[in-house]
Amino acid sequence: MSNLDGLNHSTVSLTMGSSRAQEPSDQEPYYRWDFPDGTPWARFYRSTSGFVLRFPGLADFEVSVDGRHVSCAPAPGTSRAAAEHLYLNQVLPLALSKLGKLVFHASSVEVEGSVVAFVAQAGRGKSTLAASFAVNGYRFLGDDGLHLEPSDQDYLVMPSHPSIRLWEDSQDQLVSADAQKAPALEFTSKSRFLAGDMLPHCNSPTPLRAAFFLGEGETERTILRPLGAIEAVLEWTKHSFLLEVEDRVTNHAHFERIAALAGAVPCYFLDYPRRYSGLASLRQIIIDVLSSKSTV
Amino acid sequence: MNLMRKFSAAPDVVARSVGDETVILDLASGTYFGLDPVGARMWQLMESGKSLAEICDQMMGEYDVARDTLERDALALADDLANKKLIAVSNEGG
Repeated sequence: MSNLDGLNHSTVSLTMGSSRAQEPSDQEPYYRWDFPDGTPWARFYRSTSGFVLRFPGLADFEVSVDGRHVSCAPAPGTSRAAAEHLYLNQVLPLALSKLGKLVFHASSVEVEGSVVAFVAQAGRGKSTLAASFAVNGYRFLGDDGLHLEPSDQDYLVMPSHPSIRLWEDSQDQLVSADAQKAPALEFTSKSRFLAGDMLPHCNSPTPLRAAFFLGEGETERTILRPLGAIEAVLEWTKHSFLLEVEDRVTNHAHFERIAALAGAVPCYFLDYPRRYSGLASLRQIIIDVLSSKSTV
Repeated sequence: MNLMRKFSAAPDVVARSVGDETVILDLASGTYFGLDPVGARMWQLMESGKSLAEICDQMMGEYDVARDTLERDALALADDLANKKLIAVSNEGG
């Protein structure tokens, strides 16, 4: 049994197996994730015992039908660190969704005692925005895989792995050269910076105050507007981790949870020019929104 | 379509209020629909088993609106929802 230092996976266990070649599957995947250029990222299959998540060339993960147990078979050449990284950032959120948990593609930071989430698909700057807050003293809770737990009056953000992954240009602009790095992973050129004095991490569940859904960045000015109900439901749904994408009972339950979330947490569309020089004013706009002072 | 018709949500259709709007999901197609506050109120009254005429009676007391405008809007909404297969006729009234 593997002991990972992620903070939110106590309901899911991981068994790290030995390396194994990925044999071709005799079935069609029921779902797939691809990069924008069409390169396969993950394939979802059903098996007699649950699900198989294949990351081509990297690892296979078998997820039990109840989502509580995961076993990993790294492909030859995949390091244990890379397999664990895939587990924490891709597989665990999917397993949690099988347990009825809400998990989204989003980074999160603490601002004045509550949490702001930046929700977006890969490449839209959610890690950069979180890092921009963190290097300015705001604690981050995660750079992807936003796990929410409903509580009596709000939604608690569960802290995730205390690291932030950044592309080289964001590293150069935001992070000091002596910030502590985790070992490089073979499947990405992003660097992973570990939490510490330069990147403070919040490791306790904290209420979610607002969610900002990031646009694609093709704009010369900052755009900020509240989302209506249908937009918020669609956006949360689009950015959900969901293992059972075809099951109507699951989809119905997920819809109910998303609708409740959309009704409880203020949601905004946010787009802005992707310039590092504008991050300070962008942070202030976000902080002002939280105190209802925004004039955008 | 006429005002005596009653409707219910089609099988595989679920709806949820979010603020003063309503979001509808057709589980069969995976398609989402949104209703503004007035549409949301009409949907709520449809779900309670009222005919379109009864819905208009009720809403006349809730909104500052002409009866013929309300009837036209109710018929248009019912047409739209029926065309999208989100509601089914639950009587053959009228």
